[in-house]
Amino acid sequence: MSRPPVYVIAKSHLSAWVEKMLETAQVIAPRVAHGPDVAYGELEAPEQVAWDYSSSLAPLKRFLFPQTDTLLRWDKQADDGLQLEPAYDDTERIFLAVRPCDVAGVLFLDRVFTRDREDIYYLNRRKRSTLIALTCAEPGEHCFCVCAEAGPFLKQGYDLQLTRISDEYVVEVGSEKGAALVGEAEDLLVPAPEVLMRARRELEQEAKDRFADDKAYFAAALRQVTFDQVPDHLWDEMAERCLECGGCSFVCPTCTCFLVADSEIGDAGARERLWDSCLYEAYALEASGHNPRAERRHRLKARFFHKLSYQFAKPLEAHGCVGCGRCITACMGSNDMPAVTARIRRGAL
Amino acid sequence: MENIYLPDVVEIADVRDETYDTKSFALRFLKPERWKTFDYRPGQFVEISVFGVGEAPFCLASARNGAEVFEITVRRTGAVTDVLHTLRAGAQLGVRGPLGNGFPFDEVKGRDILFVGGGIGLPPLRPLIWEMLGKRDEFGKITVLYGARTPADLVYKDDLERWRSREDVELMVTVDVADENWTGNVGVVGSLFPKAAIDAPATVAFVCGPPIMIRFVVTDLLALGFADKDIYTTLERHMRCGVGKCNHCLIGDKYVCTDGPVFSYQQMKSMMDPG
Repeated sequence: MSRPPVYVIAKSHLSAWVEKMLETAQVIAPRVAHGPDVAYGELEAPEQVAWDYSSSLAPLKRFLFPQTDTLLRWDKQADDGLQLEPAYDDTERIFLAVRPCDVAGVLFLDRVFTRDREDIYYLNRRKRSTLIALTCAEPGEHCFCVCAEAGPFLKQGYDLQLTRISDEYVVEVGSEKGAALVGEAEDLLVPAPEVLMRARRELEQEAKDRFADDKAYFAAALRQVTFDQVPDHLWDEMAERCLECGGCSFVCPTCTCFLVADSEIGDAGARERLWDSCLYEAYALEASGHNPRAERRHRLKARFFHKLSYQFAKPLEAHGCVGCGRCITACMGSNDMPAVTARIRRGAL
Repeated sequence: MENIYLPDVVEIADVRDETYDTKSFALRFLKPERWKTFDYRPGQFVEISVFGVGEAPFCLASARNGAEVFEITVRRTGAVTDVLHTLRAGAQLGVRGPLGNGFPFDEVKGRDILFVGGGIGLPPLRPLIWEMLGKRDEFGKITVLYGARTPADLVYKDDLERWRSREDVELMVTVDVADENWTGNVGVVGSLFPKAAIDAPATVAFVCGPPIMIRFVVTDLLALGFADKDIYTTLERHMRCGVGKCNHCLIGDKYVCTDGPVFSYQQMKSMMDPG
């Protein structure tokens, strides 16, 4: 890259920059949802961006891997036999002011959907996506990204990374795509002076120190889950607390289980995939009536084996947790990631 | 980029009743050139779509042949199979595949071969039996043991007759419960082992049937002196995608759809199944 890879934009110029983005793509950004809640949503105007938000209710998952996603459509009355039409989403999207943990979640999905065989529906959306991260100076109530190496600043994986330093935002370029986006707004962004770069480095260190208060004790859990050493009574006790609502799976940036269902009106039909949760009783139920995971403790154990074992971490290059803390909010039975890892470490509920 | 979820359209070429609840369907690609790339080995499976109802996995139940059709054998037992059973020749379905790993073939040349099938567990073994019979001199003694609940539950009666009439394969059939016309063996399939004169160290076993039958048969085979690595079975799990993405068929970290469905007993022992 011939241009310096770090820029700065004045806070007062952000709206003009976002306006430019809105001209070329759908922009997804944190927006006030209701009350104090903020959620990633489609932006209609630059002033809707909730720049000072802590975290979003849901991760970016639903924009790249929608809760209900049409795979195919067909018409049985077509002249030359049944015609199947794949349904691809070609929308160009800019994801703006995304928290680092949620970028890490997308990077995890990248590996899930390219592992072994490529998932064209996910990758079709992904290659039309631009990720603009917004670093975190203060931890939110449930954040533990430091334990998952998914924040509060990113080392890589972003197209652009923004860091607020008083009335300015430092803009780090992480990809050609990011460089192009900066190039289109040359009148608004200028190369960052060294003093700002130093301020950004100091802020990163301060942020890491602040985030260190909340810990998820992964090490013991990873080892015990990998070698099947978690005492059975612990799974039993945690299963007692699980309401099988599936909330943990749905809010998790790394959960991707899905089922597939057809719908048909007359001769026209569609095949959709829908989010599923491995905690549901019918998850593994076979047509014969046989259910290899009939008991909830088996399903809970399978869930955390998928999330934490080395067997999965190795091919996916990370454990299935980015420390966003959403399962803490979602789970009514306190079977969230920090609680479960702490119980495994203690060997007691 | 290939779309791993996009089926090819096939037409039902023929329907054959196997039992009171089981039918075989011969399927032919609507685009005949697709057959040329539809290169499968015994033990692999396909995802069959009944559009508007859904998709379900079925083993490839016929050996590749010159007729350019392949067969699936389907017991009526759920939403997709209920509708499948009402369809006749000419109806159009979707197919994705071949999927999964398939049985070892070259690796077991020169060995004695023992097939143990239970009920609807014979279909995955059938193409392997025929392919081995097609290269008969490359294998040792071939034995087929087949058990079903009742005589009415036996599938592939034509194949059974053809194997029975051959000198180079030993077929033994048993039923759990006989009817008035049954003159053959009565008892579970394991009860045939003492009669079959099996040389365990020289033999590779291919076992397929319901989970309970697999468990008992594997115990019997181990008692006979079979090595863990010489016992193969195909596993079934609830599947949605068949390509290692939806996660429904996971056993520990193994995807039945892509790491299997064929596993040796040696592999199965090391699979961490939380269930």
